[in-house]
Amino acid sequence: MDSNNTLSKYGVIGAGSFGLAIANLLAENGNVLIYARNEQQVKDININHLSKNYVMKEAVIATNDLKTIAAECQLIFPIVPSNGFVSMLEDIAPYLKPYHVLIHGTKGLYTPKKISGDILLRKEEVFTMSELIKIKTGVVRIGCLAGPNLASELAEDQPAATVIASKFNEVIELGQQALRSSRFQVYGSNELLGVELAGVLKNYVAIASGMLTGLGYGENARALLITRGMAELIYIAKALGANERAFLGLAGIGDLIATCNSPKSRNYRVGLQLAEGKKLDEIIEAIGEVAEGVKTLQIVKAMQKYGYRAPLAEILYKIVFEELAIKKGIDFLMRFSSDKDAEYIVS
Amino acid sequence: MDEHQHIKNRLEPVISEITDWPIYKLSQDRESFLEEAISKTIDNLLQSYSNAAVLHSELKSVLYQEKNRLTKEPWKSDTPEERIFWSEIKRQILLTDKLDEEKKQFKQDKKILRSILEYYSLEIVANFEPGKYNIARRILPFLFSRLMNASPGKKLKFLFGSKQTIYDKFNITGPIDHIRNLSKKGTVIIVPTHFSNIDSPTIGLIIDIIGLPAMTYGAGINLFTIGILSRWLNDLGAYKLDRRRKNKPYLELLKNYSTVAISRGAHSLFFPGGTRSRSGQIEKKLKLGLLGTALEAQRQNLLKFHKDTAKKVYIVPVVLNYHFVMEASSLIRQHLAYEGKEQFIPEKDDFSTSYKLLKLIFKVITANPGMTVSFSSPMDVVGNEVDFEGNSINNIGQNVDIKDYFTLAGKMKEDKQRDNVYTSILGEKIVEKFLTANTVLSSHLVSFVAFELIQKEFKNLDIYQLLRVPVDEIEINVEEFKVKLNTIKEKIIDLYAEGKLRVHDRIKGDNDEIIKHGLKNLGVYHPSLPLLKNANGNIITQDLKVLYFYRNRLMGYGLEQHFK
Repeated sequence: MDSNNTLSKYGVIGAGSFGLAIANLLAENGNVLIYARNEQQVKDININHLSKNYVMKEAVIATNDLKTIAAECQLIFPIVPSNGFVSMLEDIAPYLKPYHVLIHGTKGLYTPKKISGDILLRKEEVFTMSELIKIKTGVVRIGCLAGPNLASELAEDQPAATVIASKFNEVIELGQQALRSSRFQVYGSNELLGVELAGVLKNYVAIASGMLTGLGYGENARALLITRGMAELIYIAKALGANERAFLGLAGIGDLIATCNSPKSRNYRVGLQLAEGKKLDEIIEAIGEVAEGVKTLQIVKAMQKYGYRAPLAEILYKIVFEELAIKKGIDFLMRFSSDKDAEYIVS
Repeated sequence: MDEHQHIKNRLEPVISEITDWPIYKLSQDRESFLEEAISKTIDNLLQSYSNAAVLHSELKSVLYQEKNRLTKEPWKSDTPEERIFWSEIKRQILLTDKLDEEKKQFKQDKKILRSILEYYSLEIVANFEPGKYNIARRILPFLFSRLMNASPGKKLKFLFGSKQTIYDKFNITGPIDHIRNLSKKGTVIIVPTHFSNIDSPTIGLIIDIIGLPAMTYGAGINLFTIGILSRWLNDLGAYKLDRRRKNKPYLELLKNYSTVAISRGAHSLFFPGGTRSRSGQIEKKLKLGLLGTALEAQRQNLLKFHKDTAKKVYIVPVVLNYHFVMEASSLIRQHLAYEGKEQFIPEKDDFSTSYKLLKLIFKVITANPGMTVSFSSPMDVVGNEVDFEGNSINNIGQNVDIKDYFTLAGKMKEDKQRDNVYTSILGEKIVEKFLTANTVLSSHLVSFVAFELIQKEFKNLDIYQLLRVPVDEIEINVEEFKVKLNTIKEKIIDLYAEGKLRVHDRIKGDNDEIIKHGLKNLGVYHPSLPLLKNANGNIITQDLKVLYFYRNRLMGYGLEQHFK
């Protein structure tokens, strides 16, 4: 290893809107090398400092060679959609060493199984992104980024915060040094699984929130959705072996509030347009980028045998995939009540 | 790599001259070795105390605990000098109290800390005398074999004309050549499962049989008061642990003792489960303290030496399997009463003299025709597999440099929190290896099937209620037993084919033979037998709790589900 190979350069893999926003944040503290698959996008960034309508800082340089990222950066942020995560890892794995640190920012789940209507998934068949990194590469020092980080707001330099979770304190500290700035606060957590699940699971609640708006409902209904949605997420996370603590933080309730209230959230937009009567295929095509919530919903539903209570996910699944009328679904949910408030804390 | 090498003969020692063994060198360099351990301990302790006042109150608390130990929990191993020593420490602490300047106080306290650690170190320190070792290595197999009608090495005909050798009594499996080779390249840490007090002498003998040099290991100080055993242990490289002592300076010194010994290349042995498994189940949770010393020694070596000369540390999990665990009854009762937590530490539990212990060893050996010692493939300190030459191979088959795990931003750095995470990863890997090296014996199989059938019969009872069912209420139809045994046996053979456990050759054979052999050997010396046949040929038990203990050996493979 070169002794001069220090952390003067941060790596980002994936040049979607969130990846670009993170690259710009990192650029405040050092040089950034970002991987984009598309050669035109690489040129846009390197020549015009522009990508997908985002203005890129000059310290951000793009490449379409993963080997270069691994060779020049020891701290790397993989931020690619969950359906492309495995192949990205397989491509970069030959170049990664145990001294690399990977902090991913992908809020999705992965299963190697083909998801169809009535498939059942076991816990061992579903992976978080950090679990994929652990299995598919030789990297051990792994972390994740989660929190209310709507890319477009980050791009406008609005104040925001995120959580970096890792079992290793040095990963958290390294990530904090890399990302912290006067407009971006970075909290740390050792609850890697909890933080990951909080970030992932909230996506389908956001779909439901969009629906409420589409139906013309107001804030009482949304507050009900957010609080009971949160309870449901905690039940699922606990059944999957995570600690509920993360759900009370930025990655949990923080992210939930942001995505459930923002028309900028892709998942929210999916729900909104479904309520307006559009078909799922058309919506996904129109949005262009992946709405992770749809896939998360399928996986959560397929894992229901796990003994967690997920009435919201179940009804939402029927609405999204089985053409259940939204109003009927809501009627059902209103009848499905538990009489104690915040019971998941007491247990 | 041959994972299933069977050892039938004593192997040539890896290093022929005992005076070239690392443990002997360590014993020769005792002074500098202890000094290194003590100064590391002082450094670590001072780093952990936020200010001088914390050190002062720590010393007072050590004194208080030691006085308590001497009065409330006296053991035979306590010497009269101890009281004198602690009185002197008390006097010095009082003197320090009178000093008015904080700087002077701190200086005085550091002196006191050093005296305490030096005192401890002399109590802990191991000795290694080649002469004594040679006697022990000759006597043990000789005694064993006399009782087993087998002779060591040579095939002398004894009274009954048996041609067995001692090595036929042990079923030693695993990549032995690989481990022997690594012992030449680096430092080997043997981490066995722990079920019985005879584990230590057994593994000691096995290490000698496979030709590895003797290893340092910690033994309870109470063992050192048991006549002939104390003299043996003392000169065979065992260092002494006093489990009554829980004070931080003592525990920190023990850790550093181990770290420095490993980093100086002394092959070591410790039981990562801490104490004997109470439930009979293979350890699921390990004590990470001592395990962490292997990791720390590795990191220190990498920091101290150049990459190519830094000695690498290799971890070798070992599973010991017996048909009969003498202490089964008391262990399982403790497990049920305290849910596995030790509430008190008895000085002597199941044997109180070396005569009794030796008798126990002989009984166990004679009663165990298929005592198995299963070595698993070696790992590095972060849980990677290592190849024959000792190179680390990671989870995706890449050849990796161990140094890179301790490197961040191009620099090797000490980070205790990181060490702890790595150690817990290593702990998980060891537990996995325990499960895959576990060797199924006929007695495990019959006890598992019998207990599960009983549980199914009383399916409305929880485990505590079940264990209180009078034994005369229990009778297993032998035909049903045979059917279930065949099902479970097939599942076990499947698991074996997938490399998820090992089986004794007998398990591959005829079912009736398995049952006959299993019933004959399962816990054969217990006053109440865990399993036997009644007049109708059905299977009954005289002690359900002990049966439960043996049955637990096959936990962790999901075999229970076949009884639902």
